[in-house]
Amino acid sequence: MVLKVFFPQCCNRADSGLLVGRWITGHDSAVVLAVIHYPFIPGQVKRYIQQMQAQSGVELSVLGSWSLPKEGQEGMESFLRDLSTIFPQERWLQISREIGKTGFICEIMSQNGKKVQQEAKNKSVEEEKDTGLGDGEKEDEEKVIFVHYEQRKVMLSQLHPTETGDHDPKSEPPSELRQMFQTVAQSKPLFFLDKYDDGPLKSTHWQSEGREASIIVELLKQATVPLCLLVTWLLSIWTWICNIKIFSFWPLHFLSSKLSTCVQLSYRTEHMRILSSPKPAVGHTQFMRKANILVSFLVDVALGILLMSWLYRDNHVSVLANTLVPVADHVAKELEELLQWLMGAPAGLKMNRALDQVLGRFFLYHIHLWISYIHLMSPFIEGILWYGGLSACLGLTFALSLLSDMVALLTFHIYCFYVYGARLYCLKIYGLSSLWRLFRGKKWNVLRQRVDSCSYDLDQLFIGTLLFTILLFLLPTTALYYLVFTLLRLVVVLFQGILHLSVDFINSFPLFALGLRICRPYRLAEGVKFSVLCEEPGTALHLLMEINPLKGSTVVQTYRTPTYSCYPRDSWAALIKKLFVGELIYPWRHKTTKTD
Amino acid sequence: MGPDGAPGPTVPWRKVLWERQPFPDNYVDQRFLEELRRNEGIRQYCYWAVVKEAGIVGQQLSCVAIFITLWLYMEQGLLPPETLLWISLASALLGYGLHQALTSHDESCSEPHTHLADLQSATIFLSFTFGFSPVFKTLTESVSTDTVYAMSAVMLLAHLVSFPYAQPSPPGSLSLNAALFASVCLASRLPGTLHTFAMLSCALLVFALWPCLLQRLRENASRQFTGVCVGVCIAGVGGLGSQSPGGAVLLALALGCVTLLCPLLLVMLQRHKDNIHGPWDEAEIDEDISRFLH
Repeated sequence: MVLKVFFPQCCNRADSGLLVGRWITGHDSAVVLAVIHYPFIPGQVKRYIQQMQAQSGVELSVLGSWSLPKEGQEGMESFLRDLSTIFPQERWLQISREIGKTGFICEIMSQNGKKVQQEAKNKSVEEEKDTGLGDGEKEDEEKVIFVHYEQRKVMLSQLHPTETGDHDPKSEPPSELRQMFQTVAQSKPLFFLDKYDDGPLKSTHWQSEGREASIIVELLKQATVPLCLLVTWLLSIWTWICNIKIFSFWPLHFLSSKLSTCVQLSYRTEHMRILSSPKPAVGHTQFMRKANILVSFLVDVALGILLMSWLYRDNHVSVLANTLVPVADHVAKELEELLQWLMGAPAGLKMNRALDQVLGRFFLYHIHLWISYIHLMSPFIEGILWYGGLSACLGLTFALSLLSDMVALLTFHIYCFYVYGARLYCLKIYGLSSLWRLFRGKKWNVLRQRVDSCSYDLDQLFIGTLLFTILLFLLPTTALYYLVFTLLRLVVVLFQGILHLSVDFINSFPLFALGLRICRPYRLAEGVKFSVLCEEPGTALHLLMEINPLKGSTVVQTYRTPTYSCYPRDSWAALIKKLFVGELIYPWRHKTTKTD
Repeated sequence: MGPDGAPGPTVPWRKVLWERQPFPDNYVDQRFLEELRRNEGIRQYCYWAVVKEAGIVGQQLSCVAIFITLWLYMEQGLLPPETLLWISLASALLGYGLHQALTSHDESCSEPHTHLADLQSATIFLSFTFGFSPVFKTLTESVSTDTVYAMSAVMLLAHLVSFPYAQPSPPGSLSLNAALFASVCLASRLPGTLHTFAMLSCALLVFALWPCLLQRLRENASRQFTGVCVGVCIAGVGGLGSQSPGGAVLLALALGCVTLLCPLLLVMLQRHKDNIHGPWDEAEIDEDISRFLH
């Protein structure tokens, strides 16, 4: 068996004393957390350890003794051995270090005081590694491996994948490494004991550089309380306004669920509610979530204010407004030309002239209506833009959502055309498919979900065939109109989709986690790596444990704030099938635009 | 005698599998060919009976020819649509009366819906066709004439191929639909709306109602049925001859081939029929195997 001792690097040069730490149950390893120096009163040590145990919830115990003789100090051997009787333990580690040597010497004593292992045996660990001998002949001996760790980093780091809150007792206990990380992280109260405190006990462990520096943080923490209260109060008013009965009526409710600004508003409300909740974050995941939301919010608002400063400088708003109306006009003109082209013989295709004329005139009338609408609106466009630009102070996402909504409103005619075309085409396709079955003397059996043969009456056959002929010969005309308007619609949907995608990106990107990964790589650990520290003959093997930081892609994947885009959506095949059959596609369900 | 040349043992061979015998598995003895049977349940055809039965194929061919002839007349403006409508009406009434007369022989009043339902159907046909005839008129305007002709030809051929010659009374869906499709294509090339309407009514008469009457004739007046078939064939050849003599010759050849030559071939080739049945286990699949396909 190999005994692993996790030893903090900061205790390397500590004065002699007692090793405080924890035996990890189930695994043959011990975690050293601190060294309590001489002189001490054993009763006080015991009380202190009990107190710490109550505070941290870690099964702390005295693991053994530590000796680092200084000049003029010697002859502690017997005293150290006697200590094991004062603190009765199953196993007693007796670690010593000599000045001038890098390696430690470890002796393990069992409960009855018998020396289990000699220092010389430690050497065999390395020998065995070199010669590759089996454990057979040395089975009764215990070897010791020292794993040096940096206490601060291990305490602050979070091992991934993170565990869910409630641990299932039936499943296997967490791994040794995870237990070790947990132990170090939980025994934070132990590290509060300051080196310069005038207490009865003195100990060596990691300690913060100075708690005075955190006064600003404490002040900020105090300041957030009234801020949270204010935000909560504002939120409650906002929720009350939202819940007024008039908004739950059908048209308003429907509109608000489709306008991306309203959707963004509801998400922002939800985020603010999470941020302003008076309860502190429980657990690592929730803390990261809150931090991510906060950082995204701040970045969003900063970007929004940048946009605003650009918009209101040099009268950019009126320039935009003055270009927007001609652009919309131009789009309408282009559409009109497109329709004229379709009403002729587009691309040499021969369409049914009568239907072509009817459809073309219908759509032309729509464009006429649209142009009058635009001209009616044009005096107000600048005002709308001016006030809409104010929404950027709530964040860039709001400005983008507003832009998406405005694009949707300004291209409403394209949407109308698309819906007419799609409905007509859909009707034809369904009619043709069922009449084709009639043509072959079959019918669709609804109960069995299959095609059955069927004997039709004479009049059914007659009328069905005539309708089939009509639909078949009119299909190309309808299909062409449908195709052209679907392409136009797809362009608009693509543009809106890009806007939604960027809004979604700002909303859900884990900026805080990524920043943490870049500035403090050890905070998010994926695992550890070991490197051999010293291979001095006659001492135990010393390993240095370093933390492997989490990969960037994993960070993004783990800490992405879940938003509406994370829901499953149509695959490309389903989308193409929908387009072919003539079902309507919408951007607000995020069906066409999300390209992974 | 066994294929593997087994030694002739004293034990006689028995055709059983449950008993161990000193023969190889594929052994058969001399009695094997005694059970061979040839041409089981064969029907000896008589030439004139076959010709009579083949008459219905010939008359259907002629019906298509008559329809095409009428369309040719209409297209060249030789036949005014009013005339065609009147002729159609008269023949429809005549045919309906005949149909009733032939029906009343056996099942007189088993179907109480007849007159009113027939009138209703006729109203639906006529109003629908009349209402949609302007649409039919412009339907294939932009389609090339050659395409229309090719489509009509293919569809009429499909009609002839899929026509239920054994039982024409409930018209087969595919055959009727193909014929109607072809007639819509042809009718859309006619000069006027009324022409289209007349043509479609005529198509209804020829392709939908005439087979019903023909079925009645075949069931109840088989002697007259032959005469009717011959009459229709002559009318078809004659009608087509007035427009294109070459077509008439071709049609006459086709009719002769279908009604005279093909039965002759059938009867002559019947001598060569050699269908053997025997004691072997022939795989005869008479179950519905479609369920295994899924």
